[in-house]
Amino acid sequence: MKIIRIFLFCYLSLSMLAACTQVRPWERGLLAKEEMAWSTDPLESSLNDHIFFSKEASSGGSSAAGGGCGCN
Amino acid sequence: MKAKPSRSLLAISTTALALPGIAIADAPPVSSSLSYKVSNYQEDDLNRTESPFGDLGRYDIDVHQFQFISPLGRNFSLQVDANYEDLSGASPWFTTIGPNGSPIVNLSGASGIQDRRAELAVGTRYYLENGSIGGNIGYSEENDYRATYGGISAERDFNDDLTTVSIGLSYSSDDIFPTDAEIFNRVISEDKSSTSAVLNISQIINQVSTFQTALSITEQSGFLTDPYKLVDSRPDNKTQIAWSNSYRRYMRAADAAWHVNYRFYHDDFGITSHTADMSWHQNLGNSIQIIPVLRYYTQSAANFFTNVDDFTRPATDFQSSDYRLSAFGAISGGLTLRTTFGNWDATLTGERYLANEKYSAFNVSQPSTALVRYVRVSLGLDYSF
Repeated sequence: MKIIRIFLFCYLSLSMLAACTQVRPWERGLLAKEEMAWSTDPLESSLNDHIFFSKEASSGGSSAAGGGCGCN
Repeated sequence: MKAKPSRSLLAISTTALALPGIAIADAPPVSSSLSYKVSNYQEDDLNRTESPFGDLGRYDIDVHQFQFISPLGRNFSLQVDANYEDLSGASPWFTTIGPNGSPIVNLSGASGIQDRRAELAVGTRYYLENGSIGGNIGYSEENDYRATYGGISAERDFNDDLTTVSIGLSYSSDDIFPTDAEIFNRVISEDKSSTSAVLNISQIINQVSTFQTALSITEQSGFLTDPYKLVDSRPDNKTQIAWSNSYRRYMRAADAAWHVNYRFYHDDFGITSHTADMSWHQNLGNSIQIIPVLRYYTQSAANFFTNVDDFTRPATDFQSSDYRLSAFGAISGGLTLRTTFGNWDATLTGERYLANEKYSAFNVSQPSTALVRYVRVSLGLDYSF
């Protein structure tokens, strides 16, 4: 049952991707702007991850975890 | 008939692809960069209602971050990160029932906690025609804690580079050796390990918007108890699942970018959380950017959380009064001013964070008395060459 759910999730996700607009490489100028990056300031992102990791129970995100610390 | 793009247009678009905004896996950075950020964040003092006896002052922390990123030849990149943290203050030690019948918290002596953390991590990445593979190793050391970690990841572009799929694996081996262990009857030396895996899919939706979804699983095992609490006993295994989603949209009329992120989290301590944040990256001319950020976080309590320590229970019964395991909500807001001059970028950030059980979206049967509030100020400098 679990495998069927995972399969359905992947299938639906890929179907949604196929529905996206075809954007040619020369139409991606706005997407290439720095302010459109997933992380516009990597040091700010890693600092926030570190602080929230030490104040809240949750962790984990879009990349694999680094090392732990005595703060949590 | 379909028009064929000119060579110059193709050249421009290829340059655009090498810029950082696009989720692209097959191009090393075009230049080197050196970044430094210094931050201070200070937790608000408790009041006498929350902690009738002893010190009220909590942590005051300075953080220094350094990062160097550079292309290596045509197909490699190098990244070096170094962090240094200096911490002083007091943290919750144990909780009891106060004179008016409400839980109160007792802090460890403010003069007693002074810690430093130094961390170094090195990573490299190899870029292929339609993807990249990379790895990193790192080491972090404190007075009472040591972590050695490493990770590998791979990315691949599909669907005319509209879709990027990446996977990552990481492992951390941590040693814990609390200070003053014999005086306070703490454990002398313990260890724990964390293994983490993540699957990440990025998608270009149209000319102005992108979406990313990621699923990560982390397995922790070993000593997960807080050795500095007078009473604290936790399971020695924890499985964490996080599902993160990000959306970026460029607003042509405003010359701004809108960022929205949401994360769902669950672990087998019984904690479920929701995190939502959004930021607005407003360009003012070519060299100034203002970025307001808002974030909301809420979590449920761990199954074994208690807001009053029970000293009569056997050590084999799980219990913890750690405020981070209680049900609460947190609201934070910040503002960043960014300016560019030549090859230099400077950023100044101020942020306020307020945690309170009243902000929780979950049922709060036992509110914690030690939730944090803090103010952070950061100054960053980047140099590209």
